[in-house]
Amino acid sequence: MATTSRLDAQAAAERRTVRYDRLIDAAAIAVLFLGAAVMVLPFMWMFSTSLRLTADAFKLPPDWIPRQWHWENYAAVFQSSVPFVRFALNSSIVTSLVVVGQLVTCSMAAFAFAKLRFPGRNLLFFVLLASLMVPGQVTIIPVFIIMRQLGLVDSLAALILPSLISAFGVFLLRQFFLGLPQDLIEAAKIDGAGPFMQFARIALPLAGPALASLAIITFNGTWNNYFNPYIFINTWEKMTLPLGITVLRGYLNSGSIAALMAGVTMAILPMLVFFLIAQRWFIQGVTHTGIKG
Amino acid sequence: MAASGAARPSRRLLATERHREALAGYLFILPTFIGYAVFIIGPIFAAIGLSLTRYDMLSAPEFVGLSNYAELWSDRRLWAVYRNTIVFTVFAVLLNVGVGLVLAVLINRHMPPVLKYFFRTVYFFPVLVALAYSAVIWQFLYQKDTGVINYYLGFAGIAPIGWLNTRTWVMPAIILMDVWKNTGFFMLVFLAGLQNIPQSYYEAAKLDGAGRWQLFRFITLPMLSPTIFFNITVAMIGALQVFDSIRVLTDGGPGDASRSLIMYITEMAFQNFEMGYASAISITLFAVIVVLTLIQFRMGRYWVYYD
Repeated sequence: MATTSRLDAQAAAERRTVRYDRLIDAAAIAVLFLGAAVMVLPFMWMFSTSLRLTADAFKLPPDWIPRQWHWENYAAVFQSSVPFVRFALNSSIVTSLVVVGQLVTCSMAAFAFAKLRFPGRNLLFFVLLASLMVPGQVTIIPVFIIMRQLGLVDSLAALILPSLISAFGVFLLRQFFLGLPQDLIEAAKIDGAGPFMQFARIALPLAGPALASLAIITFNGTWNNYFNPYIFINTWEKMTLPLGITVLRGYLNSGSIAALMAGVTMAILPMLVFFLIAQRWFIQGVTHTGIKG
Repeated sequence: MAASGAARPSRRLLATERHREALAGYLFILPTFIGYAVFIIGPIFAAIGLSLTRYDMLSAPEFVGLSNYAELWSDRRLWAVYRNTIVFTVFAVLLNVGVGLVLAVLINRHMPPVLKYFFRTVYFFPVLVALAYSAVIWQFLYQKDTGVINYYLGFAGIAPIGWLNTRTWVMPAIILMDVWKNTGFFMLVFLAGLQNIPQSYYEAAKLDGAGRWQLFRFITLPMLSPTIFFNITVAMIGALQVFDSIRVLTDGGPGDASRSLIMYITEMAFQNFEMGYASAISITLFAVIVVLTLIQFRMGRYWVYYD
């Protein structure tokens, strides 16, 4: 009798904690919804302002859900003398070349550091890794002087060349290649495959997910980069989107805030679409870096 | 001897194969190291060299010894921008990592997968939006008379705040936007860290009668400490280089009240053309980053727990 009642009491206590746990779960969800509203509202303001008449741009309270649909604000971005299409094109050129360049240079170096044996390998890898501590801003003055000597200031090349390599990318891909079974490489060797074949035929085809992670991280960083264009570029024709948007801001002034928000919306849209499609790779990329970094 | 004689040809074959492999190795890392030499290592040494000169990019650099560094001490504006940068860094790191941790712990609780997916997406999305765009949007939200934030604060009886044009509020405004923009990154890394903690640890502790707080304090936190360490390091190095958001929101104003170190360096280098002096400042930033990182790693030994 005594034991069953004690068990009953225990079970009741357990039920109580479970019920209490459900309560905390519900509270957590409520708090998260509140926070989610804070995260989303600036974007909603941006979008609804982009569709308002300029006269209503500062209307308070604002319409969070657009009630007017003045799509002509979007047309105004293209009709203004600020070359928005050119900005987008420049961003696309710079970003795609940098992504492709990094995939090539990083995957080659990463494979060598992971799977090939050569004297000085560990020392060279350590030297490369140490550079992760050096922020690009610290070296910007000498790099600017180099670009000036090469006559590349105010050209897209100034934005592309320094970004064709990445110590971080080598590190990320090396982690992946280290995980490839050595047996695969040995088997290829027995079949007479040299280092190039091992890399191109065995390692690369298996590295899809890791390459996707690096491509996405690099895409995001380059597409959004503001600092380098700010330093190297001074004519509209050579600007990329983030710098171009701030030019648009100055040029349209607060009078055309609706058109400005239309421009920002269009600049953000590709990232949103891309993210929704490729979310898995984005998250994998961040997670890889975090856990293994 | 006889046996090794038989092995000799194959050993030579092995040697050439090893040579080939080493050669391939060097070839594979060559592109990376060319870029590394030209755009990273070379410029570091060049920056150190330049910091010992006076150079306006028109006439040849003139060697001036350590006088740029001596000048740093009496540069009042430099002290101000250092102070701003440190204030920003301390609060941005604490809030970004702290809020990220809280969000991750909340999202990691029991809830329908759809909700988890939704929250993760919503909190992470601003990470992907350029800081420059975020700042263009927030600049309007922060306006004193026409801004949405002051409008809603008005309902709580709070008089309009000059977010971007008063010395008191400009740094909080910049930090707040930074947390909105970046905390999702740290949340995501924490989520991955939380999912790596074996569930059995919690069950064992519960059997021993551990309460909720004890579970968090004695299992979650220690198991998460490498992730916390990583996040603090990443947040700190990023925050010390803050530039885009301030450039767009306030351009350093009012006065120098929100000017960051990197903004000051670019002003000195690319507006005043004092390349030598600007280089000396950037070398101090580099030194600060290296020293802080080393301190972090040293201190990490006492509180970071690795399996």
